[in-house]
Amino acid sequence: MKKSIIFSILGVVTLISFAFMAPEKITIKGSDTMVILSQKWAEVYMKTNPNASVQVTGGGSGVGISALINGATDIANSSRPMKQPEIEKLKSRYNTLGVEIPCAKDGITVFLNESNPVKELSIQQLSGIFSGKITNWKDVGGSDAPITLYGRENSSGTYVYFKDNVVKNDYAASCQTLPGTAAVVNAVKKDKNSIGYGGAAYAAGVKHCKVKKDAKSIAYEPTAENVKANLYPISRYLYMYTRNRPTGAMKAFIDWVLGPQGQKLVTEVGYFPVK
Amino acid sequence: MRKLLNTSKFISVFMISFIMGVAVNAQNNPDTIPEKITELKDQVSGLNERLLTAESDLAKHNKIKISGYTQAQWEHYELATAYPNQQFTLRRVRIKATYEAADGVKFVLQPDFSPGALALKDAYVVLNDRWTKSFSLTMGQFNRPNYEVEYSSSQREVPERSRIVRALYPGERAIGAKLEYNPTNMPLKIQLAIFNGNDGSTYKDALGANINPTNKDFDNFKDIMARATYSIKLGSFGGLDFGAHAYFGAIKATTDTIVKGDYTKDAYIKIGDPLKRSWAGLEFQLFADVLGGMSLKGEYIMGTNVTPGNTGSTSGTALASVFKNDTLFNTTTITNTTTRTPNFTTKFSGYYLYFIKNVGKKNQFALRYDVYDPNTDIKGTDVMSTLKYENSVTKTASASTTTNNTVNTTTTKTVTKTSIKSSVADLSYSTLTLAWHYYFDDNIRITLAYEMPVNEKVGQDALGNSNLSTTSSVNNVTKTLNYNTVFPQNTLTLRLQAKF
Repeated sequence: MKKSIIFSILGVVTLISFAFMAPEKITIKGSDTMVILSQKWAEVYMKTNPNASVQVTGGGSGVGISALINGATDIANSSRPMKQPEIEKLKSRYNTLGVEIPCAKDGITVFLNESNPVKELSIQQLSGIFSGKITNWKDVGGSDAPITLYGRENSSGTYVYFKDNVVKNDYAASCQTLPGTAAVVNAVKKDKNSIGYGGAAYAAGVKHCKVKKDAKSIAYEPTAENVKANLYPISRYLYMYTRNRPTGAMKAFIDWVLGPQGQKLVTEVGYFPVK
Repeated sequence: MRKLLNTSKFISVFMISFIMGVAVNAQNNPDTIPEKITELKDQVSGLNERLLTAESDLAKHNKIKISGYTQAQWEHYELATAYPNQQFTLRRVRIKATYEAADGVKFVLQPDFSPGALALKDAYVVLNDRWTKSFSLTMGQFNRPNYEVEYSSSQREVPERSRIVRALYPGERAIGAKLEYNPTNMPLKIQLAIFNGNDGSTYKDALGANINPTNKDFDNFKDIMARATYSIKLGSFGGLDFGAHAYFGAIKATTDTIVKGDYTKDAYIKIGDPLKRSWAGLEFQLFADVLGGMSLKGEYIMGTNVTPGNTGSTSGTALASVFKNDTLFNTTTITNTTTRTPNFTTKFSGYYLYFIKNVGKKNQFALRYDVYDPNTDIKGTDVMSTLKYENSVTKTASASTTTNNTVNTTTTKTVTKTSIKSSVADLSYSTLTLAWHYYFDDNIRITLAYEMPVNEKVGQDALGNSNLSTTSSVNNVTKTLNYNTVFPQNTLTLRLQAKF
């Protein structure tokens, strides 16, 4: 008797589940680095698919992933992989591990003011600078001047990626956080003793610092060729995350993003295609 | 943050006004320009200093995180002896404060404000290793390492934890220390904890008083817990987490006899020696991306548990007067009685299985089936049928003293080793719980749940009467629970949870 009750309930729940499948309107939220790219995708996709509705907002990778966990967005844009605690939250709320879709590649650019004589830095030197151990340009081959630091807010995937892969320590308390890579570029432009980091797509108008893995390595610029060839040491994937395997309208959109048209837009915006 | 924005706006307006003012003045008097620029620089420096101070203050506040949740509910109980049989309650009212003093140092404090039951839930410090970022040390009062224990009540898919977990880990938390290894490059987690071991447990003396009233340790034996879990991804299907945990502990013997779960004498033991208890469990959690997400979770635990014996003493004084040959004789009789019940060890087993299915973005269905047999050495039909341990011994010693010709005092000391018998505590239960959740928004969850426990039946005598029943008076009407039947004891819960 009890078994038949349980199986009846399971059957009803499964049937009801079919009625709640993929939404037609797609919402995307997350990484500020990916906002312009995603908006471009949405704009072109909606032009070619007039019945589709794709809404894009930024806020940072952490904000996007939180929205995915809370059910407030269908797709989370993230410039870093999901962290284990975030996966655990998704497991407990939606009973899935999320679906990770690498959709573009990006090289994190270190920006210097055009008047700065420094041309290249190693990962170790960047770590020293952004953790506050190196505070004067003369210690890295520059002029005798204090270093001013600009970075992203802690909700940003770029902030997390740079911290985990370059700084490998806490950021210096003097590092001023700015909302968006464009703001970092703008600040570095105006301050001759400054250094900042952000996505390559926003780099117009300031000098790109060459980066080398260690003191003995060759320094590389964040060009398309160097990022593609994995020579530039601070490159990363940009991801879309969904709660479940995409179906319906969401699958159609993601297939398009990963297809020739979507990947062509990746190059146009300044990132690097994954296919 | 608003304060900072206001400061920034103020600086911008100030700068624009000042530059305009300088421009106008410069046209009138060019000699004042350097002075004005110096003044402007000084003022901007001053404001910048204030801004940095404000940023520093704000950074301190950012180190404190406050979260919490409230569970308000209405419940209806089908148990005949329950009165009231329906009521509103506040099941959990928690506020959790986390202070990250520095990178890798965290302090957590979480009280529960449920009416009439204000209690400290969590109070611990966590130190993360800064070098490998793989180890952490926790010390204080925190959850014992077990899947269902560590799974937050605000996330759990049914209103309460399974019966076996509630029995083994009462109150969920314990005071102690925990070392955790969680490497960044592999999905492995190993936890090793040491606790006082008696947290949340109630041990009664022969008179019914709790001998563990403050939940502090009352012996020198520490309990050790270990848990290891590993996660594997199953491609696009989902993922599987699996693991095991073990418990090795001891409680001091409070009397000198040990009785086994079948109510036969096991051994003698010295009072104060360790009564060992240990168990092990296997767990899994399968997550599948099927029609919107589902999971299957389960754990099987078996082992040996102990209940220390209890000792109670009573003292009585009786006065008697009698005339003998016109002389009054007063006789005082003092009776000291000590009652000792044996220490009790039982083998137990149990498990729980969850099936959880998300239905769209807002709804979720959950089913749990759990079984707990607290004493696998006897069946339900054996309960109360016989008194298997009847080593009831009474030793009496008397001494009389005569202080003069008229007063006679007799002191009698009696030590009684009482029998113990099987009871409702030996019965196994299986419970089916169904729950439906509606997620109103990010913070609000509405739950309708129905819990259906089924008790193991006891034996009956030749007349068909139950070997075991309990009675309770409800508004002067006697209600009886006959344990030779499966009596109604289901609970319906409508819960509203707000989380922030």
